[in-house]
Amino acid sequence: MLRQVPLDLSAAWAIARKDMIIYYLRPNIIVAGILFPLFMFLAFAIGTLGSGASRASDLSQTAQLGALIPGLLAITVLFSASTIEPVSIPIERRMKTFDRLISAPISLQALVFGESMSGTLYSVGIALIPLAIGVLFFGNLILAPVALLIALVLSSLCFSSLGTLVASYPTENVGEVMSILNLIRFPLIFLSGVFIPLSSLPAWGQAVALISPLTYTSDLIKFGYSGASHISPLLDILVLAAFTIAFQALGAYLFRKFND
Amino acid sequence: MPGPAIEVQGLSKRYKEIQALDNVSFSVPEGEIFGYLGPNGAGKTTTIRILTGITQPTGGTARIFGHDIIRETIESRRHMGIVHETSNVYDDLTAWQNIIFTAELYHVEKAGRDEWAKELLETFDLYGRKDDLAHGFSKGMKRRLTLAMGLINHPRLLFLDEPTSGLDVQSNLIIRRVIRELAGEGVTVFLTTHNIEEANLTCDRVAIIDHGKIAAIDSPERLKKTIQSVQSVEVGFDRQVPDAQDTLRTIPAVNEVRKEGDKIRFFTEDPSAVIPAIMAYAEREHLRVLSITTYGPSLEDVFIRLTGLDTGNDRRALWK
Repeated sequence: MLRQVPLDLSAAWAIARKDMIIYYLRPNIIVAGILFPLFMFLAFAIGTLGSGASRASDLSQTAQLGALIPGLLAITVLFSASTIEPVSIPIERRMKTFDRLISAPISLQALVFGESMSGTLYSVGIALIPLAIGVLFFGNLILAPVALLIALVLSSLCFSSLGTLVASYPTENVGEVMSILNLIRFPLIFLSGVFIPLSSLPAWGQAVALISPLTYTSDLIKFGYSGASHISPLLDILVLAAFTIAFQALGAYLFRKFND
Repeated sequence: MPGPAIEVQGLSKRYKEIQALDNVSFSVPEGEIFGYLGPNGAGKTTTIRILTGITQPTGGTARIFGHDIIRETIESRRHMGIVHETSNVYDDLTAWQNIIFTAELYHVEKAGRDEWAKELLETFDLYGRKDDLAHGFSKGMKRRLTLAMGLINHPRLLFLDEPTSGLDVQSNLIIRRVIRELAGEGVTVFLTTHNIEEANLTCDRVAIIDHGKIAAIDSPERLKKTIQSVQSVEVGFDRQVPDAQDTLRTIPAVNEVRKEGDKIRFFTEDPSAVIPAIMAYAEREHLRVLSITTYGPSLEDVFIRLTGLDTGNDRRALWK
């Protein structure tokens, strides 16, 4: 059993590298993982700058846009991390290369982890873009960089695990998996305090926000920037880790169930 | 004495209303080339999916070199190479990246790995294209690459699902040569094929599966002996005679007469009784016999008989 762990980790890394070579530059990955969060940011930016509140505010427009960066970072992580596997796995089912993976001498957990790893690394890489834009163009300060790094890595793993879990749905059609995934992702944006502070949400909204992993991502990222958060950063980390483990375990279970 | 490479006992698989496998049992000794024949939907793919640990049976057991495929899935898979029916290579990887990726999945030691990968690509005549994306490969090249990938972990047991189906002559020859060489090295081969002649020429034993049940298991020659009634005489005359088939069908001991190209084939249990009658007919009609050949039963005849496959011809007389 223990002998299998390093073998599984090595195979998981091979699967992740294979995904990086094949899928990172696919157009549908770029659209869903990079362009969509960017357009979402622009929509909120235009809304913020154009509102009456903005015009009355003492803050400069640059500072107002900079304040949106943590939210942009959160949705970038959500979308980029959860996009690779819902595209790659249905394609591999159609090409029958997925049979190679599920018949290899590795555990299903290694397969799920390997698939998730490629999404995680992609997401961390993509997240550096808004992070750099915030620092270079909007003068964002990062008061707790370690917390921010943990937020990016852990959230990326959490959402790529979510993407892998959804991709266990036994279809060869990318569109079907993406539809299910978007049914989950879009409500999360509005119920997780990403652009609208949790404290501004009604009581029922705050209650619902607690069952969204994006809430903890958003909160931990905000802590990374400002040193202040709505929830305890430690609790954010623990809850994100718990979601990750649950998505990984459920993913492995569903892959076994649906393969039968 | 080595134990069996594959040992299957009472294997069953049910998908809701469909009984895909029904109490299947067989054993494959180490070093044997074992053919697994059956019409579409007979249960061949289900058997392979269970033996490779992808699908779980609803009943029975399967052991690979003594390891239970359900409880010791990973250990069982370590000894096997799998060549799936579809040439499932990664089109966006090069031939070299494909084979090394498979080596990594199968935990092949780095020492000697590259040399072995090179040797395999050379064996399958692909080394010159090792840095090309598989996307541009022909069907035969992809099939050969799939087989090379299936051998990268030095398997003791190789599952080959329709290895030569629809391939060009060069790929067919290379793959058949490699299968023979593997057998010489003591590798056990589990081969499913629709090409009955391929099974006849390649396999030590064949199992014929139909409707999820094993209809027969034996060597091709022994199976053929069980249906001696399916012998035939093929005759070529120098010209065609209208209504010849109707006249020839009345020859005693002839079960069926069939026109095959420019020849006529007589199915019979007793070729020696039929040949004089054919010669007498030729003399009567002033026909010259250009060729006359007798055939024993083929493995295809065994297959058709055991599976009751409808060939579109009325062959009921053969089964009496």
